[in-house]
Amino acid sequence: MTTEMHKDLIILKNEVSKMGHLALNMLKDSVNSLYAQDTQLAKEVLNKKELIRDYDNQIEEKTLKLIMLYQPMAVDLRTLAAILKIITYLHRIGRYGKDIADAVIKHLSDKQIAINLVNLRHIYEHVQSMIEDAISAFEKMDISLIKDFKERDDEVDKLRWSIFRECLTYMIEDPKYITECAHYMMFARYLERCGDHACKIAEKAYYMVTGKHIEIS
Amino acid sequence: MENNERLNGQNNEYVIECRDLNLWYEDFQALKNINMKYRKNKVTAIIGPSGCGKSTLLRCFNRMNDVIEDCRIEGQVLFNGKNLYDSNADIRLNRKKIGMIFQKPNPFPMSVYDNITYGPKIHKVEDDDILDKITEKYLKRAVLWDEVEDRLKDSAMGLSGGQQQRLCIARALAVEPEVLLMDEPTASLDPIATQKIEDLILQLKEEWTVIIVTHNMQQAARISDYTAFMYLGEMIEYGETTQIFENPQEKLTENYITGRFG
Repeated sequence: MTTEMHKDLIILKNEVSKMGHLALNMLKDSVNSLYAQDTQLAKEVLNKKELIRDYDNQIEEKTLKLIMLYQPMAVDLRTLAAILKIITYLHRIGRYGKDIADAVIKHLSDKQIAINLVNLRHIYEHVQSMIEDAISAFEKMDISLIKDFKERDDEVDKLRWSIFRECLTYMIEDPKYITECAHYMMFARYLERCGDHACKIAEKAYYMVTGKHIEIS
Repeated sequence: MENNERLNGQNNEYVIECRDLNLWYEDFQALKNINMKYRKNKVTAIIGPSGCGKSTLLRCFNRMNDVIEDCRIEGQVLFNGKNLYDSNADIRLNRKKIGMIFQKPNPFPMSVYDNITYGPKIHKVEDDDILDKITEKYLKRAVLWDEVEDRLKDSAMGLSGGQQQRLCIARALAVEPEVLLMDEPTASLDPIATQKIEDLILQLKEEWTVIIVTHNMQQAARISDYTAFMYLGEMIEYGETTQIFENPQEKLTENYITGRFG
């Protein structure tokens, strides 16, 4: 039997999925704008800042309204609890995209030397697939998608420190790389944090499905 | 079912225990092989859809089903280790020890004072001073004293629904029971009166064991320590209340508490 609450719950989960893809796109476009030196694309990312904030606020309001109206239990309650946390993580991922795009516009639009040497795209691809799988696990209630997240998160951490060492080497070799590489080290940190947020989303999806708490990272 | 085994373990004090309890109304089997233990000084809620047998089960605990024609019971209900259905069981004493509160407040059509002292008088308490003390003590325990202390000789029928229900609880307490059975005690009350009864139940468990049947799952979640879910006369799942409502182990329980029945 599908009740009004379950219909609303399906709509709400779709909203969370849309927010997830928005966050992912903001991150992807920011990294692409960096490699392509495309300030227009970076500006488009900045313009989505309000949109993702609105998703966060509106989903939170709708979730609280569902709790108030229907006082859900068991998996329904866990789903709503998971949503309240997941939207915060998605908002942060979108904001990291915005932070990268902001730096591209302000500091990096005329610099394109070290980026060809520093493999930020590699860490981005790892993080992107983690976010996608975490969102899918939530959408499909399929926790098999997140079973290797610990190893994937460890890999992202390793890549981040690899980029840190790489940038340090370039900066020591030639001080003209300092500004640029300092930003890349920050970006690596942002992307690594996005990987952590993907792990937190995965943890909440796991809780939603099983009722048990786990700690991935 | 793992939870059921855990709850039925050896490590705690239990007041009431059902063993292979089956009940029929003529040919209809209303209870099917119920095995449960109820912990002392805890609130246990029984939930389930209408007709699942929860009120029938509750009524087995003070033999209220005995008065129903064509009702047949098999199995045992142990109260402090003794079977309530033994041929030599003292029904009158057991009903004193196991009080009951109903959905609709049912004060006697007499004064507030007489409602409380009715039970003790039947049990041979005749001293007026003692009866006065009993009245004050149990009206206070039922958090009603402040509202009726200057109306003790007034008719109980003049009290509000919530006050009448607390009076019925005080009346049940006045014969010093060990267990209070409550069959949807707030079903006919407004939200404020309901909240007072719920607060009272939480206080009562310090001294008494409470078994409550309720249709209101949020109420069960708020006030009970353990919850049992019944369906079609069977006890489907029995566990700690937080576990039942957050993470039920049985699909039927989950379907019921998330409204996916039908």
